[in-house]
Amino acid sequence: MNEVIIHKGECFERVFLNEPEVNLHIVQEEGSRVKIHVINVPKDDVQCTKEVLNTVSVEQRGEGCETEIYALAFLHGNEQVRTETHVTHAVGGGVSNQLVKFVLDDEARGHFIGDLRIVPDAQKTEAHQTNRNLLLSETATMRTQPQLEIYADDVQATHGAGTGQLDESALFYMQQRGVGRQKARQLLIGAFMKEVIETIGDGYSAVREQLLDSIDGVIK
Amino acid sequence: MSNVLLEIKNLHASIAGKEILRGVNLTINEGEVHAIMGPNGAGKSTLSAVLTGNPAYEVTAGEVYLKGKDLLAMEPEVRARAGVFLSFQYPVEIPGVSMTNFMRTALNEKRAYEGKEPLSAKEFITLMREKKKLLELPDKLNNRSVNEGFSGGEKKKNEIFQMAMLQPCLAILDETDSGLDIDALRIVAEGVNRLKTPENAAIVITHYQRLLDYIVPDFVHVLADGQIVKTGDKTLALELEEKGYESLTQTLS
Repeated sequence: MNEVIIHKGECFERVFLNEPEVNLHIVQEEGSRVKIHVINVPKDDVQCTKEVLNTVSVEQRGEGCETEIYALAFLHGNEQVRTETHVTHAVGGGVSNQLVKFVLDDEARGHFIGDLRIVPDAQKTEAHQTNRNLLLSETATMRTQPQLEIYADDVQATHGAGTGQLDESALFYMQQRGVGRQKARQLLIGAFMKEVIETIGDGYSAVREQLLDSIDGVIK
Repeated sequence: MSNVLLEIKNLHASIAGKEILRGVNLTINEGEVHAIMGPNGAGKSTLSAVLTGNPAYEVTAGEVYLKGKDLLAMEPEVRARAGVFLSFQYPVEIPGVSMTNFMRTALNEKRAYEGKEPLSAKEFITLMREKKKLLELPDKLNNRSVNEGFSGGEKKKNEIFQMAMLQPCLAILDETDSGLDIDALRIVAEGVNRLKTPENAAIVITHYQRLLDYIVPDFVHVLADGQIVKTGDKTLALELEEKGYESLTQTLS
């Protein structure tokens, strides 16, 4: 257990890129801010067949905290990633935002467990969790398990999960303008992934730019 | 004597096993504007879908040649690069792909097909700005995602803007007038008229005479039940407006 305490008013930002495992437990004190990115975009030639486990748990113990968790996995072959988020609003007046995306090709497998908890006294909490997944092959599989436990009544909480394929009508529209099907796929998949990558802050701008530049190269 | 641009011979097409086009014949020369009118379900949109290679439709018989080349043998993107452009009845929203990035990719793919160098960033921006003015589209649309959050009118203007950027030899306008107010209709029609040259041609698919007041056709064809049942000049559109399609289909049967 790797527990980190973010003290009053502090900011904590981390980007985990292609780590074999992420195991992070954070406790936030009053007015602190946390921003986490967990990105798994393994290069094709270094396929790992072992399941990658990402666990990010955050507990807001002080008032007025902000938590942002972003996760993106783009998997090929028989790669597997399981990403778990546990967000607990133990006191009110906090904000949390989660955006988790998987892009799965070949026989890749993705698994998302999103645990969001708002305790009875945590009024005026704002919590959002979104999970979007793109399946590029018939044999890729995605498992999504959102678990929402909301015990306070005066809160704003939203949740959405969806898994789909590339939009054929968008592909055709682009082809009709002369964009090759392959390039059209790259644009659509790239756009899907950029939504996560572009949220990486300036503290990690080198990683962000490197990811944005390399996106087209990793899309087959 | 102008050259033949498009030749459609005995075209049959179906969707999900249902035959929609049942022997369409049509020849279009350079410099001509052809209007295709007809009741709902006649096959007007199917014709545009088949000409552009929409994979949902199956061609079961017939041939189509663009400048003598077998159009049906080409992939959709190759048809586009060869100069076939469709102004979609329902332009598709593409979240996350900016208009600028999309248009630049499209234009440079077309230039590569023509053996030309890609445009520099500066040349491209200058061209975008120039063409935007033609359609009275605001510059801010450049950074927005393709068609996302555009109003109905903006979407249709955006189609003609893309047409201006790509300069096709054959433009197919599929009910470009639907959902447009009179001001947007005028702007769209003026845009189309300004793009007209002696070398290119347009197929204007519409239900109503209204658009044809602005884009004046050389020929008007009536498509009914998958076939062209009548061809005339622009006065045919006025006649249809007055008497409706039913009178026409009745006299035929």
